[in-house]
Amino acid sequence: MSRALFQPKLADDWQTAVADLLVRLADDELVIGHRNSEWTGLAPILEADIAFSSMAQDEIGHALAYYRLLHELGYPDPDTMAFLREPQDFRCASLVSIPKGDWSVSIVRQFLYDTAETVRLEALCDSAYEPLASLARKLRTEEKYHLLHGKTWLHRLGDATDESHRRVQTALDLLWPHALGLFEPTRWDRTLANERIQPSEPTLAQEWRARVEPLLTDASLVAPEGVEPLFGGRVGRHPPSLAELIAAMQKVFRLDPGAQW
Amino acid sequence: MTDTQWRVYEVFHQQARGEPHVHVGSVHAPDPETALLMAKEQFGRRQACVNMWVVPQEAISATSYEDADLFQHTTDKSYREPFGYETTKRARAIGDPQEL
Amino acid sequence: MVQFNQPRNDRPGDPGYEQHLAAFEARLARGDRVEPGDWMPNDYRHQLIRLIHVHANSEICGALPEGGWIPHAPTFKRKLALCAKVQDEVGHAQLLYRACETLGKSREEMIEELLSGKAKFSNVFHYHAQTWADVAVIAWLIDAAAIVNQTMMAEGSYGPYARALKRICYEEAFHLTHGYDMCITLATGSKLQRAMLQDALNRWWTPIMMFHGPSDKESKHTQLLMRWRIKLKTNDQQRQYFLKKYLPKIFNLGLTVPDPELRYDEQTKEWRYTEPDWEEFKSVVNGNGPASALRLQARRMAHEEGRWVREALAAAASGRTVPMSGAVRVN
Repeated sequence: MSRALFQPKLADDWQTAVADLLVRLADDELVIGHRNSEWTGLAPILEADIAFSSMAQDEIGHALAYYRLLHELGYPDPDTMAFLREPQDFRCASLVSIPKGDWSVSIVRQFLYDTAETVRLEALCDSAYEPLASLARKLRTEEKYHLLHGKTWLHRLGDATDESHRRVQTALDLLWPHALGLFEPTRWDRTLANERIQPSEPTLAQEWRARVEPLLTDASLVAPEGVEPLFGGRVGRHPPSLAELIAAMQKVFRLDPGAQW
Repeated sequence: MTDTQWRVYEVFHQQARGEPHVHVGSVHAPDPETALLMAKEQFGRRQACVNMWVVPQEAISATSYEDADLFQHTTDKSYREPFGYETTKRARAIGDPQEL
Repeated sequence: MVQFNQPRNDRPGDPGYEQHLAAFEARLARGDRVEPGDWMPNDYRHQLIRLIHVHANSEICGALPEGGWIPHAPTFKRKLALCAKVQDEVGHAQLLYRACETLGKSREEMIEELLSGKAKFSNVFHYHAQTWADVAVIAWLIDAAAIVNQTMMAEGSYGPYARALKRICYEEAFHLTHGYDMCITLATGSKLQRAMLQDALNRWWTPIMMFHGPSDKESKHTQLLMRWRIKLKTNDQQRQYFLKKYLPKIFNLGLTVPDPELRYDEQTKEWRYTEPDWEEFKSVVNGNGPASALRLQARRMAHEEGRWVREALAAAASGRTVPMSGAVRVN
């Protein structure tokens, strides 16, 4: 499949900036949803399994909605975007592709991610790009449950037992630089901000920290200090875990890419 | 070992404002907030719901099925029902204009 | 609320057993449902526990072969549907363990028995799901076979089980549609896809024919289960119903079934087939199937790795004040 297919010629910088943002949003959602869906059937307790699976489905559903907006801009259809691109064509942050680890890694990741997603969606509700603004208003509703889920779990695991505290703090230390990487500035930052499509990444990062840190404190956890963000995902530089994930995801589709599945 | 057990919460949902809360099942959960969090997806992921209750199972007092006869009416209780009266006929007889 | 400390007098020979039994059977004859606090014969309770426990185990183990394919589902729609389907299986396990708990066996005990290999789960989940077409065949035909069984059981005499099954059947209708849709796609697709589907059906046919359990000649529980309306149809009747409904659909997709003896008998209006090897069936459900060890290992891993989480939440909840009052019994 030709590279050019995934980077259609767009009218101007404005459209290119929007498309770049949509690819990042969509890829983040697809990859975290994929990772979380790996828990379905294997979570620590039946009731928690069901809830976490719903959230995985929500994220994959959000990805689909973003890919549809891209399709309207001339990109291939959502299935082609998900199942035929090479790993280096993905623009997700490293946070989302890290292997699911133990329950603490998945719960902390989901919490950090959902808080970031909520901050972003709230900003996007006022986006000058109306299709995105209207989608953001819709998706925000589902994030309400995700936030409640994240807070409830974090609060309980954070200071329940020595073991749970240690595990959750370790997961937080591991994930923190990756979570900061969700806000990797891109070359389109200024255009997006100037055109009032989305506030700049550093602005969003600041708001995210302001929300996350008190919740971590409530859960007896400490945000690591002086840690450099891990960037690269927004320009296609990914940890090996992404290539492994994409290979698994595309395994069946690539048996016969021309077929209906 | 009691770690997989937790306690049981009975779950009630309300499909729309104005409708009654109806019992839909139960979940194992460590505390009420987590019970709600879990019940929401186990019992609310398909059906409409605007409000959900969870109640610790121990908080429910119940009659026994052996005592179902408590609810039986053996003597004539028709005086509690509209059909226990012939008032319409009588009202007509005295010329009630809305019954004619 | 079931009170377990009082004598139940529920075994033959116990004082009053015959009178209780007569009243119990009269209730069943009226078509009344049995509820948790009711007197019931010890045998009835234990047959139900055995049945619901295996059913619940089968849901939770059934999540494994398909769950392993969620990461490989080849389109957005399939990925979402498969995830939702496996989630439903976990949900069904939750409903069924709860229903079984009303008979006096805790979920924890049931899960321990599953993990130790003492309690069984359905024969079909002792096999590997090797290709994407296996996922399609499982979702269509195994869920179809399960629906035949569950729709019948939903009319059974025990209230909590019947209520759980009612909801389960509703959700299974989605599974069946999702499965049939996948099979139609593969059957009408490329050469590779058609070959995949036929290969999957060839491997799954025998397990599917065994799904409803040993033939009536061999099944030791059937008579009692039917007398107490736990079961309303025999294993062979269920198998026959499944064949009548699904074989025409299978042939319509251009698929063949690997049984040279299979033919429709115009006189009896029934399908004739090669009798499955019930010794093999017993060996498989006793843990000697190709994937038996793998399934139990996966469940044990999940259970052990989740232990710290369950302990943590239990610890976080202790010391909270939640209204607690003993159940009051009106006597």
